[in-house]
Amino acid sequence: MNNKSKFEALIARARSEQAPSVDVAGRVIDILTAEQTLFEPVCDRPLIWLAAFSSAVAVPVVVAAIIVYQAWVYPLYELSQAVSWVIQ
Amino acid sequence: MDPATCPDWGGRLRTRRPLTEPVRRVTGLLWSLAIGTKQPIAAACDIDDVQQSWQGDSDAYRRLIERHQEHVSKIMWRFSRNIQTHEELVQDVFVEAYMGLRSYRQKAPFEHWLARIATRIGYRYWKAQERRRDTEAFTLEEWDLIPDEPVEEMDPSRAAALVHRLLEKLRPRDRLVLTLRYLEGCDVAQTAQRTGWTKSMVKVQALRARKRLEDLLTQTAEEAEE
Repeated sequence: MNNKSKFEALIARARSEQAPSVDVAGRVIDILTAEQTLFEPVCDRPLIWLAAFSSAVAVPVVVAAIIVYQAWVYPLYELSQAVSWVIQ
Repeated sequence: MDPATCPDWGGRLRTRRPLTEPVRRVTGLLWSLAIGTKQPIAAACDIDDVQQSWQGDSDAYRRLIERHQEHVSKIMWRFSRNIQTHEELVQDVFVEAYMGLRSYRQKAPFEHWLARIATRIGYRYWKAQERRRDTEAFTLEEWDLIPDEPVEEMDPSRAAALVHRLLEKLRPRDRLVLTLRYLEGCDVAQTAQRTGWTKSMVKVQALRARKRLEDLLTQTAEEAEE
C-alpha cells in the first residue's frame, strides 16, 4: 500500500468517527448574560432611544445653524456671487 | 434531535402562535418546491428562536444551542482533539454566533450559517496555534505502524487522530482546505461557502495543499527508509 492510498484509507476510516458530546448551553448563556447589555430587549433601553432621537434632531439643527451663521456674517454673499457670475 | 419537532424546552413562558407556525411551515415547503431548490430552507423553529433571541429571550437561544451543539461539536473536533480546547471552541462558536445573530438572513439553514462561523473560529485557532508553535511533531513511528494493521479494521478515532497529526505539519490554510474537502466531504462550492473564499481560490488552494501533502508523505516515507 503506497502512502497516498494509505492516507486515503485513513481518511475514509476517520470520517466515521464520533465527536465527543458536549453541553455548552448553560455556560454560553452565562457568558452572554454576564455581558450586561445582552438579553435585554431593545425597547428596555430608553437611553439608546434618547441618544438616537437627539442625534436625529441635532443634525438638521447644526446644518441650519451653519446656514444662518453664513447669512449673518456675509449678508451680501449670495448677491456678490450672482454679480460676479454675471460679470464673468 | 429533529428540528421539525420544535420542542418546547420548558423555558420562560412565551406566547406561541398556533396558527401562524403551521402556515409558515407549509408556505416554506411550497416555496422551496416552487423555486426548485435542493437546499433546505431554514427550519421554522430555528427562525422562530432566532427572532426571539434577537428580542433578548435567552431561553430561545438556549434551545438553538441545544439543537445545534452536536453538529458544531463534530465540526470543532476536526480542529482540536483536546477535550477541553474542543469544548471551549464550541462555546466560542455560540458566543460569536449570538454577537452576529442579526446578520443571519434566514435564507440558508441556521446550521449552515453556524458551520461558517465554526470554520472561521477553528481556522483562527489553528493560526494562533501556529504563531505559538504549539503543535507537537508527528513522529514517523506512528506512520510506520499503520501497515501492520489493516486500516479498515482500525479504530476510527485512532485513524482520525493520525490524520489530524499528519495534517498538523501543514500550514493552516492547506490544512483547512484538506480537512473540509477530505474529512468533511465538502465539494468546491461548499468549501467556498464555509471558508468565504472564491471557488477558484478553493481549487488553487486544494491543488497546492494536495501537492504539499504528497511531498510530506514522500518525505515521511524516505525518512522511514533511512
